[in-house]
Amino acid sequence: MTYLETKNLCKYFGGLKAVDQVNFQVEEGQLKSIIGPNGAGKTTLFNLLSGLYSPTDGKIYFRGKEITNKRMNQISQIGITKTFQITHIFPRLTVFENVRISAQSRKTSFNFWRKADSLDDINERTMKILEMFQLAASNDRVASTLSHGEKKYLEIGIALATGPQLLLLDEPTAGMSPAETILATELIRNLRDKLKLTIILVEHDMSVVMKISDEVVCLNEGRVLACGSPDEISCNEEVQRVYLGGRKEC
Amino acid sequence: MKVDKTDTLRTKTSHRVVWITLLVFLIAPHIISTPLMTEIMIFGLFALGFNLLLGQTGILSFGHAAYFGLGCYGCGMSIRYFGLSVWGGLVFSMVLGTLLAAIVGALAIKKRGVYFAMISMAVAQMFYFMALSPFKKWTGGEDGLKFIPKLSLSFPFQVDLQSPFPLYYFVYAIMGVSILCIWRILNSPFGRLLQAIRENEQRTIASGYNVTMAKFISLLFSGLFSALAGGLFCVYLGYGPLSALFWLTSGTILMMTILGGMHTFIGPVVGVAVFLYAQNKLSWVLREWELVVGILFMTLILIFPEGIVGTIKSKYAARKAAVQEVGEAD
Repeated sequence: MTYLETKNLCKYFGGLKAVDQVNFQVEEGQLKSIIGPNGAGKTTLFNLLSGLYSPTDGKIYFRGKEITNKRMNQISQIGITKTFQITHIFPRLTVFENVRISAQSRKTSFNFWRKADSLDDINERTMKILEMFQLAASNDRVASTLSHGEKKYLEIGIALATGPQLLLLDEPTAGMSPAETILATELIRNLRDKLKLTIILVEHDMSVVMKISDEVVCLNEGRVLACGSPDEISCNEEVQRVYLGGRKEC
Repeated sequence: MKVDKTDTLRTKTSHRVVWITLLVFLIAPHIISTPLMTEIMIFGLFALGFNLLLGQTGILSFGHAAYFGLGCYGCGMSIRYFGLSVWGGLVFSMVLGTLLAAIVGALAIKKRGVYFAMISMAVAQMFYFMALSPFKKWTGGEDGLKFIPKLSLSFPFQVDLQSPFPLYYFVYAIMGVSILCIWRILNSPFGRLLQAIRENEQRTIASGYNVTMAKFISLLFSGLFSALAGGLFCVYLGYGPLSALFWLTSGTILMMTILGGMHTFIGPVVGVAVFLYAQNKLSWVLREWELVVGILFMTLILIFPEGIVGTIKSKYAARKAAVQEVGEAD
């Protein structure tokens, strides 16, 4: 089943065609990566899908329903949640509260009287997610004291706490150490395999992309240059020319 | 499953802070001058209301004198012209404060940072000048609102609000209930949402919250409690001073809040207490108190960069962490 679909999606900033006539589908349970050189429109495409920007033209469908002009919080409530390229966490709150507040968004937001800490199901859900990211031991630490890699995990945890059906990850391994990258790759794979999440990934680290993607889309200057399996993409001459650099024998 | 232990711990300490504060205010008028303590409570409530917006939601309003002053005049005028009781006057001020917050919110809540601050300040100045001249007939202009009938309570029992002690405990009761309400709001799911907005608005939206609505409601609560404080100020003074609406009041409440620590629950009240106490004592000694206040403020902020309560709290937390680390190393 086609989960997410864009039809002739465009976003222009003045004369700049950041995203230009992009048609693209994601199937349920798929892990799809978007690659491309800097300025290719990857993050803009993400911002369109997550509702941060509204498109200049074109349409977006999620599970057959049009979601083109919905705002970011509405998109999140529909089941699409994103992480940001530059890590967005709640720096002065505890690690636990970072995830808890996000989990709470599915239950209640304008309850002024009940004690937030007494929402047992939310607390339980939060602990489960923290355990998944090996952050359970640091649950009472202030989030700003975490290492860069841990903050990146935490943000994925925050996104996951909303219980999304489709997860948009914007460069989740950027700035991570090689060891952290390996763990993150494993984690993302688990999100698809064990939690059955559909994932769209923007990533520059080709080793990560090639290892875990079901399908790869290469963007260039706002347009789709190529789309296919990781092997097809790494052998595609156009992609090699604009992005991967150098030739690889296939 | 066990609830995160430090989180409940933190909530408990915060809860304890509320009770300690109430206890201190219960005894204090017997030690320190009663009128001064009354004033500290009123401005303390104002600062708590103000800090709902500044410290908890991360929105700077530079026009909170509008809510305070509107509450003050609203209470006084409704008693003088409509013959309302003191209770009626206070309820009237809360309604006015909330209404004004709704109007300001509808106009400006989507504006960020300094733009919101400027719009709120403009609104406050508008009220100031309205009270100063066009509505002079009703507001008393620069003399302030006078000729409010002698204030007393007949419900739930007869209290004469002219003498300091009964007045003090009347204000105490209202402030006590308000402080408990504010504490409760801040620890509710909604209160936690406000914190999240303060910490990272984008992330909060991306997690599916309607942030604009949350900020709007935060402003309503802030307006409500600030106006209630204003109403109490009128009951305390027995008249409505024009200075309650002046922009300096907005500045002072901001200064007091930062001085006490805007990222803590009780900090604003401590800031108010220190400020008003110093003002009271120093103006006995020095006639040019305003000269000293700047220096005093700078000195205190240099010693307590996160405000008095904020800095003490983080120093304490750092020490506790250090002790724990040593313990673990052993």
